[in-house]
Amino acid sequence: MKPDNRRPAGRPDPDKLLKLVENETSGSPRGHLKVFFGSSAGVGKTYAMLGEARRRQAEGRDVLVGVVEHHGRTETAALVEGLPVLPLLEIEHRGVIVREFDLDGALARKPSLILMDEFAHSNAPGSRHPKRWQDVEELLDNGIDVYATLNVQHLESVNDQVARLTGVWVKETVPDTIFEAADEIALVDIPSDDLLKRLAEGKVYVAEGANKRAAENFFKKSNLLALREMALRRTAERVDAQSDELNAAMGQNEAQLGQKIMLLIGPDPLSTRLIRHAKRMSVRGRAPWFAVYLQSDRHEQLDEKDRTRVEQYLRLAESLGAQIVRLSGARPAQDILAYAQQNGFTRIVVGYRRPPLWLKPFRATFAQALIEQSDGIEITVVHGATGQTREPVTAAAVIRPYLARPLDYLLATAMVALCTAIGFVFRDHTPSNNLAMIYLTGVVIVAARLGLGPSVLASILSVPAFNFFFTDPYYTFNFYDTYYYVTFAFMLVTSLVVGSLTARLSRHARLVSNRERETQILYGLTRSLSAERSVDMICEVATRHISEPFSLDVTLFVKTPEGLKAYPEGVTTPDMRETGAINWVVANGQMAGRDTDTMPSANGLYLPLLAEKETLGVLGLTARDNGHPFTGAEILQFEAFASLIAGALQRARRSDEAAESKVESENEKLRNVLLSSLSHDLRTPLTVMNGSVSTLLRMRKELPRKAMDELTSLWGQLTRLQKFVGNLLDMAAITSGHMKLNFQPYMIQEIIGAALGRVEATKGGRTLRTQISGNLPMVMIDGGLIEQVFINLIENAFQHTDDDGEVVIYVEKDADRLRVRISDNGTGLKDGDEARIFEQFQKGQELRSDRSGGTGLGLAICRGIVQAHGGMIYAKNNRMLASSDGMRSGTGASFIFTLPIATSFLTSQEI
Amino acid sequence: MADSPRILSIEDESDIRKFLRTTLGANGMMVLEAETGKAGLQKVVSQIPDVILLDLGLPDMDGMEIIRQIREWGRTPIIVLSARGQEADKVEALELGADDYLTKPFSAAELIARIKVALRKRNQPQGDAPFVYDHDNLRIDTAARRIQLDGEDVHLTPIEYKLLAVLARNSGKVLTHGALLNEVWGKHSTDNQTYLRIHTQHLREKLKDDALNPRFIVTEPGIGYRLKP
Repeated sequence: MKPDNRRPAGRPDPDKLLKLVENETSGSPRGHLKVFFGSSAGVGKTYAMLGEARRRQAEGRDVLVGVVEHHGRTETAALVEGLPVLPLLEIEHRGVIVREFDLDGALARKPSLILMDEFAHSNAPGSRHPKRWQDVEELLDNGIDVYATLNVQHLESVNDQVARLTGVWVKETVPDTIFEAADEIALVDIPSDDLLKRLAEGKVYVAEGANKRAAENFFKKSNLLALREMALRRTAERVDAQSDELNAAMGQNEAQLGQKIMLLIGPDPLSTRLIRHAKRMSVRGRAPWFAVYLQSDRHEQLDEKDRTRVEQYLRLAESLGAQIVRLSGARPAQDILAYAQQNGFTRIVVGYRRPPLWLKPFRATFAQALIEQSDGIEITVVHGATGQTREPVTAAAVIRPYLARPLDYLLATAMVALCTAIGFVFRDHTPSNNLAMIYLTGVVIVAARLGLGPSVLASILSVPAFNFFFTDPYYTFNFYDTYYYVTFAFMLVTSLVVGSLTARLSRHARLVSNRERETQILYGLTRSLSAERSVDMICEVATRHISEPFSLDVTLFVKTPEGLKAYPEGVTTPDMRETGAINWVVANGQMAGRDTDTMPSANGLYLPLLAEKETLGVLGLTARDNGHPFTGAEILQFEAFASLIAGALQRARRSDEAAESKVESENEKLRNVLLSSLSHDLRTPLTVMNGSVSTLLRMRKELPRKAMDELTSLWGQLTRLQKFVGNLLDMAAITSGHMKLNFQPYMIQEIIGAALGRVEATKGGRTLRTQISGNLPMVMIDGGLIEQVFINLIENAFQHTDDDGEVVIYVEKDADRLRVRISDNGTGLKDGDEARIFEQFQKGQELRSDRSGGTGLGLAICRGIVQAHGGMIYAKNNRMLASSDGMRSGTGASFIFTLPIATSFLTSQEI
Repeated sequence: MADSPRILSIEDESDIRKFLRTTLGANGMMVLEAETGKAGLQKVVSQIPDVILLDLGLPDMDGMEIIRQIREWGRTPIIVLSARGQEADKVEALELGADDYLTKPFSAAELIARIKVALRKRNQPQGDAPFVYDHDNLRIDTAARRIQLDGEDVHLTPIEYKLLAVLARNSGKVLTHGALLNEVWGKHSTDNQTYLRIHTQHLREKLKDDALNPRFIVTEPGIGYRLKP
């Protein structure tokens, strides 16, 4: 945890502003949540929600009714009319058909906005999530906007207040974090008198049967007033919080006075009240709050139930927006205060229970210790008064340490018998007092091995056994010496005390060794994983390390491009329910399955393997003895395993990627070297030959005619060779995907003009003209490459026309693209050649025999270049085209390509 | 041959050097040769050639570095020899101060023509000194700020005039887009090529020039513009 760094006042924080904007813009993939919030049933939330939904629908949005309970009220039912309604899913639970919201149906239908009445509803067992608000979260995550309704009493943080006020304990709650994260809250409010009137008129749904009385009790005016105040206050607080957020972003953070609250949590059930108290305090003070659990050595003494409870409390605090901190230390008060000082806490909230009267003079409570040592930090003590919802101390809880297997008690009795037997050996050689020590030794052994209960039994049995066998007169419970009273008393007290201490010590030692074992497993896993770089080995190591110590069946599902791959291989395919849970974990990056919030009915527990927010796979754990539930502490440990495995998988993937990209870059380097040396090696002799032949051609007067003819033919071949080499190198660049485009604005006429200059030499007797329709906007193109396209297409047209033929370039603007058509009046294309000629090394079949020109690469190059520009290129025979362009229809072919026009050039005036 | 122009070819391929020697020699030029960049730079200093033919792919030195070093102290025309498809290299070379480029393979005629332009440029006024350009009935007199086409006055906007004057002062030589923007609009406008296109287009209209079949202003795709010499 870092101390929060506040920016100097008055300076807007761009990141925060940006975040606010991001939250507001609908561009974010997450859906928008609007909560219709009211003080109680009957205020008209559903009605308001439906009314707004209809308006959205009228605006053209795709609205879907997910769940709406109109409880037979006609006004509400009328509003649902005309809106598409998602059919409810029928779930069979113990022979009863329960109708629930169909989450998968909604996700598949993917509306723009969905209506979810009764936000706090609990789903029937067997649903994916236990709570409807979790369904809503998933909808939002999938980019669907949600309207939901909520009553104030269903808010987690006011839950206990409402219970005390109305006497009705509401089990269906929504975490405050969810409520606070809503994008919009619409308060639906009517005066309490009006509500009572509506109630009297029967316009408010009231449960039937046994709940009816409770409900009537609920709708008392005093209650309604208090609830209304609560709702108004929560809404107002939210508005404040929002404006604070904005102010803080704008640099005006007077609102935040640097308050920071720490709540101390323990296994005491008082903690739930403390958590809600601290939450309200933080809302009112607009201060961040932290729930802290101190793992002192006393933590080791806690039984499983207490530890689970601590985890529950921490989770509750987290759901109410607290940050969770676990500290460990031997001196609770000092350690907590030191931590609070270092991290700038201003207030500590702690619970207090009055210790038993007889203990009071001896032991200061934790709260007292905190108060005495606090230096400038406010301490708020919440009194756990009698009469509060305190878990009653059951008889079972009291005698739990004494419960052991009957065999253990038998063994304890046997130990006493053994001690007696040993005593017989020494009875005549030593004073009887020493024999008492034998029993004491026996008690210690029993305590260490078998625990507290058997050791108490052994202590109690030891005294009469000693009396019976070793005090004069033997074999009676009488004794002559009165001082034996003292011996018996000391013997009993000493053995009880030593026994209980030993039992506690050995229990502690066991806990420590358990913990050490856990650490050992974690360490072993870390060490083994760090050596592995292959996914298979990582999975093998992980399953081996986890399955044995916990007697679990471990399966890993690793994401691959082909889907999830299960390890170990050949593991039996999990059934539908398990597969559903696994897929959900992959999609949502949260744990699911047994003993979690999502799909708790599954057999296995599934944890996401998360690395940098990406789910790399799933860790599936199934207990071999199916009865034992996973505790919070165990799940925490499994999460640690999952994160280790995810880290290892991530490393494996990284090293794969690194190796791949190394190969890739080596390849690219090699390709570039090869290309440029090829280019150099081919061009050098060509340049020399070109130079020599062209020099010779200039000496035509001095050379014999026959030599001139040979030279001219050589010149022609040389030109072809040059073109071929050029094309080959261009093609290599295009196919390797490493062609870099240098986009610049051009008037297409400029490019055509340059290309015309370049083809002048090969034109011969042909006519070459350009026809441009209308004004053309500029295009963003790589000038050199598009020039090459023109050259290739024009030369291709020359090759397929007679020496007196005609080639025409038509250019026109067609909506948002420029269309260029290069048309000739030659032989045209053979049927089926239209697409094929753009492949590499393909040539039209009907080449003029006297000009064996093409290399079969020119058109493929054109296609590569045009496609890289985002355009299209194709060929058609002229007879297939409308003959409105003045070309003689029926002869020749047209090569057509398009180039997209940038929007900025489309809208600007043509020049 | 005291008057014959001296051409320094910095080229590592002996075959190409041989071809240059024969071709240029046949056209009355004297050829100096250097096989490496270092030797070339030394000869530029010691022999003071009239034109430098520079191959960009020398084994010992980066061609751009050679141009930069020559331009630190001298204005000897440099013609760069490069391969097709290396437009970026050509633009860089031109912007570093090279005067022209030839794409391999090139013909003897092309080579001679480019060298002649470079030789002529050498004698032309530098900097802002007034000059007269006269080609194909287009007459530009910068001292009088007067443009005449086929004997008639042409009226240009200040930007068009500046653009034409820059092209005319360097007639025959390719000016890169960046160089033109810099000369006409100043340092900070080197990335808005749209301006350049629009004004070039207007200039062409006023000069009755056609981009499809240029009479004066030639487009060099991917590189820049050139005014016919």
